Amino acid sequence: MNETNNETSTGSNRDLSNAADMIVCENVSKWYGDFQALDEVSATIKEQEVVVVLGPSGSGKSTWIRCINRLEQHQEGRIEVDGIELTNDLRNIEKVRSEVGMVFQQFNLFPHLKVIDNVTLAPIWVRKKPKVEAQEQAIALLERVGIPEQADKYPGQLSGGQQQRVAIARALAMEPRIMLFDEPTSALDPEMIKEVLDVMKELALSGMTMMVVTHEVGFAKEVADRIIFMDEGQIVEIGTPETFFTDPVEERSKLFLSQIL
Amino acid sequence: MSDTPTSTSEKVLSARPPLWRDIVIIKWVTQVFLLVVVLTALWFLTSQAGDNLKARSISADFNFIERPVDIQLSEGIDTHPDSGGRALWVGMVNTIRISLIGIIFATILGVIVGLARLSNNWLVRRLATIWVETLRNIPLLVQIIFFFSILTVLPRVSLETGPINGWFHISNKGISMPRVFLADGFYQWLVVVLIGAAVSYFVYKKRKRIHDETGADTSPVLWALGVVALFGILGIFIHPIFSWVGSIFGALASLFDSLPILAPQLLLCALSVGLASTWIIRFIRKNRSARGHLSLVDDDWFRIIFTAAVSVAFIVLFVRWTGFSSWILNSGRDLFEVIESKFNVDGAARPFDAMRPDIVQPGKFPNYGSSGLTMSISFAAVFFGVVFYTSAFIGENVRGGILAVPKGQIEAANAVGLKRSHALRHIILPQAFRVILPPTGNQYLNLTKNTSLAIAVGYSDIVQVGTTVFNQTGKTLPVVGIWMLFYLSCSLTISVIVNWFNVRMQLVER
Repeated sequence: MNETNNETSTGSNRDLSNAADMIVCENVSKWYGDFQALDEVSATIKEQEVVVVLGPSGSGKSTWIRCINRLEQHQEGRIEVDGIELTNDLRNIEKVRSEVGMVFQQFNLFPHLKVIDNVTLAPIWVRKKPKVEAQEQAIALLERVGIPEQADKYPGQLSGGQQQRVAIARALAMEPRIMLFDEPTSALDPEMIKEVLDVMKELALSGMTMMVVTHEVGFAKEVADRIIFMDEGQIVEIGTPETFFTDPVEERSKLFLSQIL
Repeated sequence: MSDTPTSTSEKVLSARPPLWRDIVIIKWVTQVFLLVVVLTALWFLTSQAGDNLKARSISADFNFIERPVDIQLSEGIDTHPDSGGRALWVGMVNTIRISLIGIIFATILGVIVGLARLSNNWLVRRLATIWVETLRNIPLLVQIIFFFSILTVLPRVSLETGPINGWFHISNKGISMPRVFLADGFYQWLVVVLIGAAVSYFVYKKRKRIHDETGADTSPVLWALGVVALFGILGIFIHPIFSWVGSIFGALASLFDSLPILAPQLLLCALSVGLASTWIIRFIRKNRSARGHLSLVDDDWFRIIFTAAVSVAFIVLFVRWTGFSSWILNSGRDLFEVIESKFNVDGAARPFDAMRPDIVQPGKFPNYGSSGLTMSISFAAVFFGVVFYTSAFIGENVRGGILAVPKGQIEAANAVGLKRSHALRHIILPQAFRVILPPTGNQYLNLTKNTSLAIAVGYSDIVQVGTTVFNQTGKTLPVVGIWMLFYLSCSLTISVIVNWFNVRMQLVER
């Protein structure tokens, strides 16, 4: 990791000002009944940028990233992903979903399918890839996340960390331009968190645009280009890891950091 | 076994315990004791029942099966059976017939009801809810009598009214529609279709391989079905060229005729020894540890010895009971002779024929003739009763099964970009089916057993026929025994089929 060019390094020290906009959110709001989950959220995420979203539970972080691939529907404002606006048009939704990979807190692997079939399912049925080709790609991806020997097992036979790495491989199989991570390590035993974070770091280094909801401060400090801090459905503060963790501006950020650090 | 055991523990380990504290002895004694108790209880109960019956001079033998009875049945394969056994057999066929048709229709209707209850359409959802709540909260017997009373007030059938030789006719005699039946050329046509099925298997493999290699949409299932259909149509014209197939079955029949009784006896004995020894070998292999040590507990030894004893018992049975072996030979010969005769037909015979309903008047009252497919009102009442009633329960199973698929699965399917139809086929249905199947199997059992309510509306099922038989012969106990054995075998057959699917569908976990 001694490269100096922007293509292969991450963190706030690189210059992304010339990069294209990948995700644009403008005044996005969402309510669950009377409860306002998102309150005028506006942010732009550049190509190859790694953004970590922090915030106390119930602050709307998960709701926000789930809106970006339309698992939740925003009610006001606009979201544009790689130039495609998310509307009620089914074709747009399908296009966005095939460009955005998502990793869930609870892995959500398909328990009735072998690991390899979990990974090849979408390429075969969505991308219409030949099965042989999809399997070769799946083996390559499983090697990338470090578990090629588990290809013929079922998800129920794997450990939590291995399952989450399969889930990452499954998302990568669609060759997405953006990866969303919704608390990927929260359901894992402590000794398995590292293996998942290592895969995510490698992914960030390879230039993937990533949006990560997590409580892993170490990961955020090391990999993130920007930190977005949310509370009560609003974006409270946006900053580089250095400034956010050492010198936060807002009172709520200070309170939050004092509780988790 | 450890290096430095304390003196007391060594003493406890090495000392042989007294017999009443030795778990090995205790286990063996209880196994054998229980077996003896069960056998004695059975023997005691049967001999008591026999003595009691004798004291009241009621005979509980099965002679009525061969003796002639005076029974006229409303419908079935034989409406004037010549013996008690034949009458019961007609009743069994009627029960199996209504159960099978009922299971098929209840499944289709149940799936529709279950999906309708999950529909996004408010009206459809409400209607399905009303359907389920009404049907499952009214006793089935009431429903059957309700349908029967509706059907009895339909217009009378007569030679003048109604479209004679029409397509569809409904009256207080039942519902009649056109009937498609197998004609003489059917078996020759079947040969063509079987060849078509073999060809379609290869076509399916081929299309599947093309799909796997290129990713193109090759729809292998549609192609396979298309090939079978093509052969089916082709068979209508070319089937007479297969009339020679009959001679193969003729040769098989004469082979069975010439075999000595020893042949099936040897085969059966070999089968019984083979099955028992494979079971024992597999059992022992399964209980071997990774290092090859055998770890059998006393229960396991008991099971092994029991299996061996059963296989020996079967061998003795097959050797002593020569009638069984000659029955196998005779019925095999008869079967192949019948098949041979099916191929000995006029070359111009068609594989299928169809006839429309007709109305005839053999005696005082007009009724449907035999050319149409007629559902009598008793059959219709039981059929609608069990199908509607069971569909409500199956619908709930389907709904529950689909709701049991975790929301995360659907989200994951959406997140990788699967279309709704693909997510349904690859993710939701396979997981829902696993939840739906076991309770639906129970509903199949219930439906089969519930057809015994047919007695209320006079459908000639096994219970109704059996009641008539024991009223005439006085052999209540044997008839009830036959009932129980019959329903037990039906239920076990369904259970075995459902369990087979169940085991195949289970999730692999650690």
